[in-house]
Amino acid sequence: MTKDSFFRDMAKAIVDGDKDSAEALAKAALAQGLDLQEVINQGYIPGIQKVGELWEQGEYFLPELITSAECMKAAMAVLRPAMEQARLTSLSLGKVIIGTIEGDIHDIGKNLVASMLSANGFDVVDLGADVKLDRFIQAAREAQADFICLSALLTTTMLGQRRFIELLREHGLRERFKVLVGGAPVNHKWAESIGADGYAENAMAAVALAKSLRDKR
Amino acid sequence: MTFGLTILPQGHSFRVKKGVLLIEALRDAGINLVSYCNHKGLCGKCFVEIIKGALAPAEAREKEFTTRKRLGKRYRLACLYRISGDLKIRIPEPALLPKMPVLKRGLRRAILPDPAVKKVVFASCPPNLAAPLSLSDEVRRQIPSLRQKVSPGILSEWAELEGQRPEEFTATVYENNEILDFEPGHTAEKNFGIAIDIGTTTLVAELVNLNTGETLDAVTGLNSQIHFGADVVSRITAVFEDPKKSGALRAAVLDSLNSMIEKLLGTQRIARRHVYEAVAAGNTAMNHLFLGLPVKTLALAPYHAVFSTLPPVPASEAGLAIHPRGKVYIAPNIKSFVGGDIAAGLIAIDLRHQQGNYLFIDLGTNGEIVLKKGRRFLATSTAAGPAFEGMNIRCGMLAVPGAIYKVEDRSGLRVRTIGNLPARGLCGTGLIDLVAIFLGQGTISPQGRIRNGAPKLPVWRGVELFQRDIREIQLAVAAVKTGIRLMLGRENLTVRDLDGIYVAGAFGNYLNIDNSRKLGLLPGLDKKKIRFVGNSALAGAKALLVSRKERARSEHLARTVRHVSLATDPSFQKTFIEALRFEAWK
Repeated sequence: MTKDSFFRDMAKAIVDGDKDSAEALAKAALAQGLDLQEVINQGYIPGIQKVGELWEQGEYFLPELITSAECMKAAMAVLRPAMEQARLTSLSLGKVIIGTIEGDIHDIGKNLVASMLSANGFDVVDLGADVKLDRFIQAAREAQADFICLSALLTTTMLGQRRFIELLREHGLRERFKVLVGGAPVNHKWAESIGADGYAENAMAAVALAKSLRDKR
Repeated sequence: MTFGLTILPQGHSFRVKKGVLLIEALRDAGINLVSYCNHKGLCGKCFVEIIKGALAPAEAREKEFTTRKRLGKRYRLACLYRISGDLKIRIPEPALLPKMPVLKRGLRRAILPDPAVKKVVFASCPPNLAAPLSLSDEVRRQIPSLRQKVSPGILSEWAELEGQRPEEFTATVYENNEILDFEPGHTAEKNFGIAIDIGTTTLVAELVNLNTGETLDAVTGLNSQIHFGADVVSRITAVFEDPKKSGALRAAVLDSLNSMIEKLLGTQRIARRHVYEAVAAGNTAMNHLFLGLPVKTLALAPYHAVFSTLPPVPASEAGLAIHPRGKVYIAPNIKSFVGGDIAAGLIAIDLRHQQGNYLFIDLGTNGEIVLKKGRRFLATSTAAGPAFEGMNIRCGMLAVPGAIYKVEDRSGLRVRTIGNLPARGLCGTGLIDLVAIFLGQGTISPQGRIRNGAPKLPVWRGVELFQRDIREIQLAVAAVKTGIRLMLGRENLTVRDLDGIYVAGAFGNYLNIDNSRKLGLLPGLDKKKIRFVGNSALAGAKALLVSRKERARSEHLARTVRHVSLATDPSFQKTFIEALRFEAWK
């Protein structure tokens, strides 16, 4: 099998949501000693990007996103030990801290964003739901994060996003992190008015946003 | 500084203040526009056409809407437009809040009247020197059990009557221990009460004869709180952001209710002083806003209420226009967002006394589900959301005249509209029918995708169903389906273990069971076991009004129903994602 057809199969496994194939192909890639950077960037990542396109077109919906993200996770799990050995940390597009703001327990949307960011090459730490503002800051510092992503489903808890940015400023930490906000009641206007670095309407947009902000640094 | 605002084509004119938001100026002038987002420019429903007047460039969000909705360049959102000069506008019909038809009759069962309010007639013996008894002594002789709580107001009225000493008096007694009123003569048959359904969108008030338990009349009205937001969360947010709004929200619902009560009493020629009690059933947030209570605790996890069961509140304090010394009783809240409307509904259908396992589903915005397993009750709120009310759907609308409520496939789509008017859009039940039909045809896949990647499907003369709309329905159906699955799962029950399902809410009555099943909204239980119970909250409110026993039962129920939080269930996400697929329950 040529490298190209290998990569095509990997992308297809992600698009098809075929976890077994995704894992098998990853194992085969290791066995053949293929360049891991290429395997990820030319094999699997194009797959998850295609999934993103299919979502944009309305072809794929939540279940397909989740299934594909899980395939990606499974493939990465197979490759990880080898990646660590080769110290391929540069493959990570950046560190992300994500969670649902305190007072709010809704997390499916946030979980999807976390999955998609992770599947697209970001290092994601998911703090869960009902996360206190201080905890976000603490985790971001510990992980030396690049991004802090705050999700809020209710117009009431959304106000915590504004408070969080104020808090960052009070600690003199505003410049250190890119703050992204999301959630059903959130929009661009709100993100702008509170001084966030960006707003994304869904998981795929979040990936695009994070990537674009990363390129700006 | 004021300017002139003219509404074309009618030509109505008003003076409006500079700097005021157009939507608020219109509201003050008595013109109510649809607003589901607390005037934040999010829902895109309040577009008006600026015929003549200041026209600043549209905001980005507005442009998005105008492009999508194909509106002209002169359309602006009334909630973002500030008055800065004289203005001539035209308000498109869809932006106006319509009148609602609603189900007034819920499931009725026979209840023996045993109201808290009783009227007692007694003959007065003229006092004489040997036995100068006071009226109070008279009353105690007739009603020995009376512990006699009286207010000073009553005593002075009493004193007036003493002077006249008619042969007969009628005392109005509350719970056998409080005298609400005294009247000369025999007025015992004039004993009335009001049952109220405090809906998020629609209010219903029913006038009841407390002695016979008979309903005289009922009236529906819009809950004016809608101006602060179409749903419970936006109203809670309004108060959260500005606590002073609490007074305005309370005044809004009271205004609506009091005009409805006035109408009822006027039509039936009943005096306000003869209406002694009102029982109100609403969801938890509605109850809190009605009493002007803080809703902060409902805004943040764990979303708990300030009160569950309350003793009756004096009508004068509650603000309802019945006898000022009358009482207002709020149907007890169960837990969190599952409120008195559900407790009342459960009493109306007398679920407690049915043998076996049952589901009770209120298919409204909150989508409450109650599971009865043997003697245990569990309740949850699925937040099924606005899709069932036609919101967030491109051609969606409330179930009002002009809405397609039923769709059939008879070599082509055939539709039926409310009021038989030309179709303006689709309401919840029409949407369910439509998606089920398309699914059956293969036009939509079980994953919710339109075949061949078309962005939309034609339905009927300008009414179309978009891919995004289908996604909204998927989400709403999945929420209810997940709620049912998780509730059954917790109690180790399957659908086969259910002896019946009760479906409540106005939506419930028009719902097609087969189509609901095809989408997975309702489980595949034998059709005969599924019963629509209409406005069970109102029926329950009446039961609590007319019978103290039912009232006590509702309080006991509220205490014993256990609350389930779906969002914190570890299997929620997985179950929800699976439920997104349109398929019947196996």
